[in-house]
Amino acid sequence: MTVCLLSLSMLLAALPLRTQSQIRFPSAEGEQVQYEAYIQLKKGYLSGICVLQREGEEVKGCLFNEFGITALDFSYSLERRNVKLHHVVRMMDRWYIRRVLRKDLAKLMEVLRQGGDSYENTRHHITYRLTPIEGDEER
Amino acid sequence: MSLLQGSAQQQSDVQIRQQLGETAAALHTMQCDFTQTKQLSMLNTKITSGGRMYYQQPGKLRWEYTQPYAYTFILNGNKVLLKNNNRNDVIDVNQNKLFREIAQVMLSSVVGNCLSDDRNFKTSISATQKEWVATLLPLRKNMRQLFQKIILHFNWQQKMVSQVELVEKNGDKTIIDLKHIQKNEKINDRLFAVP
Repeated sequence: MTVCLLSLSMLLAALPLRTQSQIRFPSAEGEQVQYEAYIQLKKGYLSGICVLQREGEEVKGCLFNEFGITALDFSYSLERRNVKLHHVVRMMDRWYIRRVLRKDLAKLMEVLRQGGDSYENTRHHITYRLTPIEGDEER
Repeated sequence: MSLLQGSAQQQSDVQIRQQLGETAAALHTMQCDFTQTKQLSMLNTKITSGGRMYYQQPGKLRWEYTQPYAYTFILNGNKVLLKNNNRNDVIDVNQNKLFREIAQVMLSSVVGNCLSDDRNFKTSISATQKEWVATLLPLRKNMRQLFQKIILHFNWQQKMVSQVELVEKNGDKTIIDLKHIQKNEKINDRLFAVP
């Protein structure tokens, strides 16, 4: 999995572990929050932009690299607290990658809801970090 | 008005390619501002970023985002430098096929010489009163996995790329508008420095 992700260095998003108080999470209907995303892997990292938007009982999310290439589309159920992947860029679209992403993104969303900004998957040595982009409200 | 009708179509297509090819060949340096608009189909929203781009023949490109985030991509020969708030990384494009292809697409798109890249794209050209539009369909597997098509809009008078559209398989689209284009003006070599 790591090899696949590394080959996508230009494609994605999120993280080291840093404490930051009250990271924004879209709580009101239609609210959108943009984050710089950074994902630290065992042998590299991915970076990009993550956009989360509240729609009903879901938070929809998109993750794309700085050049605009989409890596993931997903939705997070606020009630069931799970993640559904709607689109994964072809070269990452493997069942084992999807499984890890689904679980990790659900954990990351939980962390964000509680005001944190990062989640570390210790088993696979992956750390996800989201940092809100200042002033994204006007965009 | 269309230049590409009936028997004139092929001739006009050839003429357009020739003129764009000549312009690209005579382009030693180029710098401009850019605005990048990412259309997210799933969220039905647009995300805008922007910055400045520098190109120098042969094979030097600096793509610098300044708003709303800081991120710099420098291609210099076979090396790529990626700079963000957290770190700097140098990558050898020869050791990363995907990187090489994306870097090549960016470079050849802004310069406009990908029209002659028959190995990587199937190209068609159309003309309107205001611009020439080239639609590129990727032929290679890696590129096909990323892009459904790439559309280049050329300024009719300047014969230069004014807009690049990257259309992805999931319906997302990235539109890059190039503005305040300056051609063949001296650019400091330090802007392309990769340690």
